[in-house]
Amino acid sequence: MRLFLKHILLFAVLFFIIEKSAWFLLELAPNRQYDRRLENLINGKINKDLLVIGSSRGAGNILAGQLEKQTGLTSYNLSYQGSNVNFHEFILKTALKFNKKPKTVLLAIDNPTQFIGDISIRYRVDVLQPLTKYNYINKTLVKEKVNNTLSYAFCLARLNKNHFRFKNREAPTMNPLDSFGTMPLIKKKNLNLVYSDTISAYSKALEEDSRLKAFKNIQLICSENNIELIYVFSPNFRAFNTSFYKRFKALVTKNQKIIVFNQDNQVYENQSYFYDYAHLMDKGAKIFTSEISDFINSNK
Amino acid sequence: MYFNSLDFALFLPIVFVLYWFVTNKNLKLQNALLVVASYVFYGWWDWRFLSLIVFSSLVDYTIGLQLNKAAQPSKRKLLLWSSILVNLGFLGFFKYYNFFIDSFVDAFSFFGSSIQPNTLDIILPVGISFYTFQTLSYTIDVYKRKLEPTQDIISFLAFVSFFPQLVAGPIERATNLLPQFFKKRQFHYSQAVDGCRQILWGFFKKVVIADNCAEYANQIFNNSSEHTGSTLLIGALFFTFQIYGDFSGYSDIAIGTSRLFGFNLKQNFAFPYFSRDIAEFWRRWHISLSTWFRDYLYIPLGGSQGGTWMKVRNTFIIFLVSGFWHGANWTFIIWGFLNALYFLPLLLAKRNRTNLDVVAQDSKLPNIKELVQMGLTFGLTVIAWVFFRAESVTHAFTYLKGLFNTSLLTVPTIRPTNLLVLILFFIGIEWIGRRQHYAIEVLLLKQSRGIRWAFYMIIISIIFVFNSDNQQEFIYFQF
Repeated sequence: MRLFLKHILLFAVLFFIIEKSAWFLLELAPNRQYDRRLENLINGKINKDLLVIGSSRGAGNILAGQLEKQTGLTSYNLSYQGSNVNFHEFILKTALKFNKKPKTVLLAIDNPTQFIGDISIRYRVDVLQPLTKYNYINKTLVKEKVNNTLSYAFCLARLNKNHFRFKNREAPTMNPLDSFGTMPLIKKKNLNLVYSDTISAYSKALEEDSRLKAFKNIQLICSENNIELIYVFSPNFRAFNTSFYKRFKALVTKNQKIIVFNQDNQVYENQSYFYDYAHLMDKGAKIFTSEISDFINSNK
Repeated sequence: MYFNSLDFALFLPIVFVLYWFVTNKNLKLQNALLVVASYVFYGWWDWRFLSLIVFSSLVDYTIGLQLNKAAQPSKRKLLLWSSILVNLGFLGFFKYYNFFIDSFVDAFSFFGSSIQPNTLDIILPVGISFYTFQTLSYTIDVYKRKLEPTQDIISFLAFVSFFPQLVAGPIERATNLLPQFFKKRQFHYSQAVDGCRQILWGFFKKVVIADNCAEYANQIFNNSSEHTGSTLLIGALFFTFQIYGDFSGYSDIAIGTSRLFGFNLKQNFAFPYFSRDIAEFWRRWHISLSTWFRDYLYIPLGGSQGGTWMKVRNTFIIFLVSGFWHGANWTFIIWGFLNALYFLPLLLAKRNRTNLDVVAQDSKLPNIKELVQMGLTFGLTVIAWVFFRAESVTHAFTYLKGLFNTSLLTVPTIRPTNLLVLILFFIGIEWIGRRQHYAIEVLLLKQSRGIRWAFYMIIISIIFVFNSDNQQEFIYFQF
């Protein structure tokens, strides 16, 4: 028995020491990423007046560079395609933890899926995983139950099969990242879009509590830090969903600022300005961003 | 409690220390510790269902003692049937009640009359199919006077609830496991190290192979209509490795854990995917269940005695019941039926016991004939697994229809290179170790400790890294 315990202990100690060499792989992982926005955020390199947070609607429809030029506020886009409001809350908290507090936050709203359990928008753990060398990120991944508590002690437990991607992630040809963190859609999708006037009824029953809570937290964080929070409804290639909008209004206080795209602008009924039903091409994004700039400038 | 959880990683060393250092002087105390540990292990999932295990154990313990006293054949038969009715009654209610109700409703609807079903929201107690069969084997063996009933209730409770194999087997016979509780266990270094090695390999199978295959198999099976034939083939192959890795991985962890406590459980899997025909496959797959059915159903039905018709009938009964044991769904019954069909030509040609040895027993690689036989057998099992995995019989047929068309020759849209490399590594190690009880039983034993430990560390590292984001429950928990 004594020999068995001695060997088990020795093996465990040796493993504990040797496995630390996995740190090398953890160090390498962020360098292979094409999108380094989150790492810059953790390293305190995103000190801007205005931040754009949201999913793909924020990433491609709101051009941070143009906003900076038109409003005079230094701007950066921290929107991630396919991300949900829980992830947006994480981005905001991270921005405040490691960077200068922004004056304004634009929160791109997913109309009508912002609060419902839609699997196309989710907590983007894949964005966090290459950055597990950072304790802050690892802690978040443990909270999200992606990493387990062993990852506090073992480097290997922070590794993931995605770390064994030998090729660097390359820039997407459809929507490359610009220096302001925006991912404007520059290549048209071969898709014939048909404008629809039908408005589907919004069902509260499909809402997820965690998403509603995250949305409330974003409001609270902004109000506690004196940050101007502006909600942004970008155009879809279909009639504006007033059913969702009504529900949304019930979740925000009366004096909060909401930008809804200009529904009278015929451009938003022209399919050449759209990539698909929910996303604008860059020329459409330019028009919509001008509307946002006008709103900000008129509310200064 | 799951083997692949941090709870178990704490639970096991605590029980180990208490077992060998605190209670080791007193056999009864050691057995009592095992009972308590097993109940904690089971109750971690849902303590309410502990009462079922306790009740089932007490019924069979009492009936065992009564059988010993009773001399009249009619009374002995009555006692036996009481045990069967209680045990299968629980199993039938928790596992099959809704299935029978739904099937009756479907049958009535088919003949034009509509009835309102009265199904219940029943939770299936984890492991009920396993421990029910284990306790039944005790009563039947006592009835057949193959085993003396025990008076030691603690040992009996420990036998029924022994935590390593409680929820997913191997289904142990009272004749093998129960006597081990009566004897003082000695700690043997080699046995404990061997146990650790088997646990390690079990975790590799479960965490690396099964869980990662599950990710892709689920993705493909859940949207099968959207995939090409070649991708559907990949999906079926991934499920084939998932179910093997999952279930045999569990058995390895169970057997290895038992060895840490000085117990020897029976081998449950003997490299079934290297089988040369279906009969061999069934001698190597879920051995504890196959032999249970052989001894307690097939042989009492007449076995292979009697004419051809009897043999065919008994074979179909065994496979259909085996399918039904796995779950209350027609897919499992069809899976059983399909295996019976595969078995039939061998039975009729009296070739069902030709491949009793290990493939390529005296050589490193199989010859062409063996390779073709293995390929064919593997192919047949892959097709059968489609029924096992599918949501419904219709889904299985649509899946197979989608698989067998010209798109089978295209490049699959889902082909995770990392996983395919790991599967090849896994097959290689399993092939090397095919003559042993588990693949790495003697692997590198002739090498220095340094080399051996380096290999184990590599395996642990792979387990850490390929620990799937979507950790899967053990498939056989649902049975």
